[in-house]
Amino acid sequence: MHELGILSAMVKTIEVVAREEKLQRIEKIVLQVGELSGAVPSYLESCYPAAVYKTFLQDTRLELEIVPGIARCNQCGEEFNAVACDLQCPACGSRALTALSGRELVIKEIEGC
Amino acid sequence: MDNVRILEIKQSVFADNDRDADKVRQELKQKKVFLLNLMSSPGSGKTTTLSRTIEKLKDRLRIGVMEADIDSDVDARAIARLGVRAIQLHTGGMCHLDADMTRQGLWGIGTDELDLVVLENVGNLVCPAEFDTGAVKNAMILSVPEGHDKPLKYPLMFSICDVVLINKVDVLPYFDFDMDKCREYVRMRNPNARVIPICARTGEGIDAWADWLEQQVRAWQQDDQ
Repeated sequence: MHELGILSAMVKTIEVVAREEKLQRIEKIVLQVGELSGAVPSYLESCYPAAVYKTFLQDTRLELEIVPGIARCNQCGEEFNAVACDLQCPACGSRALTALSGRELVIKEIEGC
Repeated sequence: MDNVRILEIKQSVFADNDRDADKVRQELKQKKVFLLNLMSSPGSGKTTTLSRTIEKLKDRLRIGVMEADIDSDVDARAIARLGVRAIQLHTGGMCHLDADMTRQGLWGIGTDELDLVVLENVGNLVCPAEFDTGAVKNAMILSVPEGHDKPLKYPLMFSICDVVLINKVDVLPYFDFDMDKCREYVRMRNPNARVIPICARTGEGIDAWADWLEQQVRAWQQDDQ
């Protein structure tokens, strides 16, 4: 379960932030998930309760924000949605791409006090 | 009434592990110990490749091996028979090692009087790519039966590797594996990755790989940056 490891890493990173910000309680976490990150949003949601079980995030909500996977073709410079185009340039057919967005697994914001 | 506020964080979920991995690297630098993170899918020949590598290098470098698996200690036993320090790490069901688990492993094996520690990561092309272990270099093995299209399917793994070993080249005649295509796909993901075809069973290519590794270890030990 790949998503469980990602969320466990997130819990550790948020622990540090919460200490620095002296947060007593956290209510919500907004996580940006890129379409090219390899993480499946529905799996992130379904294993979230297990990942935060018996941690200080146990009673928090997870909100996901999906970031589209936009790529630029290294051959012709076309920019396109890499997922919709199956990782292939729709203009010239090249598979040599540079991801412009969509690899994010980023904690965007935390709601707490 | 609580004053709930919204904090903008904008940090990677892996930020804590990445910081920890940098600390592991600093600790290794002080001790002049080189850590190699060896990754691949299950059955690609990690343990056999490692055995051949140890045979080549054990008179030139003091080597330790950390075998990470979800369960069992068969790999650590196989490596210990070669006369190098070896321990088995169990990940407790997790499909990767993080920097903290790696540090615990380094504690367990004891890095004093070692030049090179090889971490044989859990067989998996997805999760280990995301978790920096604190290794100085990352290596991965892709074996011929897996197919030449793997760099397209597991882009992150190939983009973080310093060297890609293409193992089991002795069975090339029996598979539709296109070596040129494979090199091209690796280059697309990572122009700096070095590709070395090997056969752990026959020993082909092991010299080139062992020499590369020894050079990296010496450079790490000599460079005071």
